[in-house]
Amino acid sequence: MKSPASASWKAPLKFRMPTAENLIPIRLDIEVDGQRYKDAFTWNPYDPDSEVVMFAKRTVKDLKLAPGFLPQIVQSIQSQLATFRSYEGQDMYVGDKIIPIKLDLQVNHTVIRDQFLWDLNNFDSDPEEFARTLCKDLGIEDPEVGPAVAFAIREQLYEIAIQNVTSARENRISKKGRRAAEHFTPSKASGAALDLMKLFSFRSSVVRKRKEWDYYKPVLDLLSNEEVDALEAKEERSGR
Amino acid sequence: MAEKSPVKEAASSESIPISNSNQLKPSPQLPSKFSSQTAPNSEVPSTPTSRPPSADADVVYVPSYSRWFSWDKIDSCESRFLPEFFDGRSASKGPSLYIYYRNSIIKLFRENPSRKITFTDVRKTLVGDVGSIRRVFDFLDHWGLINYSASSALSKPSKDTGSNIKSSDSPSVESPSSAAPTSKHSSNSRRICGACKSLCTIACFVCDKYDSTLCARCYVRGNFRVGLSNADFRRVEITDEAKADWSEKETLLLLEAIMHYGDDWKKVAQHVGGRTDKDCVAHFVKLPFGEEYLGHPLSNDDESGFETNKRMCLTPLADASNPIMAQAAFLSALAGVEIAEAAAQAAVSVLSQVDDITASRVGSGSLERNSKQETEISSNGDTNQNALERAAYADANSLLDKEEQDIERAITGITEVQMKEIQDKFLRFEEMDLQTEKERQQLESMKNLLFIDQLNLSFRRNYT
Repeated sequence: MKSPASASWKAPLKFRMPTAENLIPIRLDIEVDGQRYKDAFTWNPYDPDSEVVMFAKRTVKDLKLAPGFLPQIVQSIQSQLATFRSYEGQDMYVGDKIIPIKLDLQVNHTVIRDQFLWDLNNFDSDPEEFARTLCKDLGIEDPEVGPAVAFAIREQLYEIAIQNVTSARENRISKKGRRAAEHFTPSKASGAALDLMKLFSFRSSVVRKRKEWDYYKPVLDLLSNEEVDALEAKEERSGR
Repeated sequence: MAEKSPVKEAASSESIPISNSNQLKPSPQLPSKFSSQTAPNSEVPSTPTSRPPSADADVVYVPSYSRWFSWDKIDSCESRFLPEFFDGRSASKGPSLYIYYRNSIIKLFRENPSRKITFTDVRKTLVGDVGSIRRVFDFLDHWGLINYSASSALSKPSKDTGSNIKSSDSPSVESPSSAAPTSKHSSNSRRICGACKSLCTIACFVCDKYDSTLCARCYVRGNFRVGLSNADFRRVEITDEAKADWSEKETLLLLEAIMHYGDDWKKVAQHVGGRTDKDCVAHFVKLPFGEEYLGHPLSNDDESGFETNKRMCLTPLADASNPIMAQAAFLSALAGVEIAEAAAQAAVSVLSQVDDITASRVGSGSLERNSKQETEISSNGDTNQNALERAAYADANSLLDKEEQDIERAITGITEVQMKEIQDKFLRFEEMDLQTEKERQQLESMKNLLFIDQLNLSFRRNYT
């Protein structure tokens, strides 16, 4: 794979998650015999393959699912892993990209909505660490929120990374060549990628304007049981 | 959420209450597997009758091979078994992350210690990739730091009738007879593959660097940790005997058979039943004799040492004979030599008033083991009652003396052998010492030569 960007000032990198740990988000949503199993967690793609089967077995055993779940879980995880691996060898362009990451989750009784900026170039970033700190700072007692937050962040980062790879491929195909690096910032819409220049120019300060404060503040709600049930029912209806 | 309940260790018969703030020093002990509690009434942590009444419901049991555990510190065995956190490959996956995982898992378990915590519960609440969480969870599970509720660790009370005491009792399936401790011992417990958690059958591969065991399948597939290569593993054969531990009954039968048949291993194997003669020989050789039962031959416990030996000898034999003699032999073994003598005397004198042959045989038979002598005495009993008394008494005495002498001889033999061992060791050490001394001198001379060369060089350089 020739990389025409060797002349550009942004060297392409091999595809990977832009985080310190190259972990991928895995989402499972399987229905067998009327039992529905939804789950989301992070996975280390460098674990041996036997790990997948073992994990599936333990999950089925721990959650007392029907044994028909086992092959489906294994298959789902493996296909997501395969997708990841297919992207792995390819190049991806990362410019100076700071993206907003949005959280909008409901985990058991906790609803959390938040938005913050994330530097894609920072390959030492750690969504897990962020999630842990967030939960600690907000005083969230439900321990399941942390992993959900980390997963959401990772999922969004993964999406963007994939888009980077596909856009790089497209650009190469359409022979835009070395101009690909500069071109794709505004055209890739994963929420507007903010221009570094505009944000941190010498005229504006780093401190956020007051009117944007509410926009970037985390909102935490604790629901009562009825509200949880209502939400679930609404979701099921919309799903159907 | 600091844990305030004291953690009690289940040592053999005492419990060591440990509070979480002051920890034991994390010494990397060899994890010998002690059976958890011999007191049978302390199964449930909340109603122990023999434990101190304070904080009953908060008592958590930790097996003694996990004594190194401490909330704030990382023990060397942890870094050995979970190297991914400690080899510095990734900045975020460090020891602090490991501590976070470990402590949260253990806290979660201790919130409800009577309930087994599952991996899925844990990984739903921990932030991180499920692979490493699973490894930490398995590690803690194996070492009994979680899911070690008392009900799962059955203890076989060690029989003190002198039957063989093997340190690897086979507890119930759920207790952690794990690959981790057993891969250190070359004992006969099961080997479980570290990667796929299946039982190792024919052969397994052991890596000494990280002390992990892999079954043949995982080894071939390359399912080991990153950082290891094929060369790090060595092959370990597992024979069929390793799969089936010797039960106490079988060892009893074995000893009995050996007493009877001596070196005829075919007959011994027949007597034991279910084991080939090679198995019997191998197992017999492995039995911990001598030291276990004799203790210190120079101590005051000579008699008890002898008696346990005798018990060992008597009881298996007693099983083989008729039940009355078995009873008498057993009782006499329990009671002791002099008491048995006195009792026999009294019995004989009482019985001599009754003109009964079988009764007298019992009275004298309780003191001897040789069937030939038995018939002798019974024939004597036919003739004269008084002569019978005296003969029985004399025979018993002589037999006792002979036995004592035998035992003494055996002990001296053993001590001689041990002294010879020590002497040999001394000799070897002296040799080693000499060798190292020689090497040192060689190195010294080499050093001198080098120095001379250096000097020469510098002289030459100065002249040119």
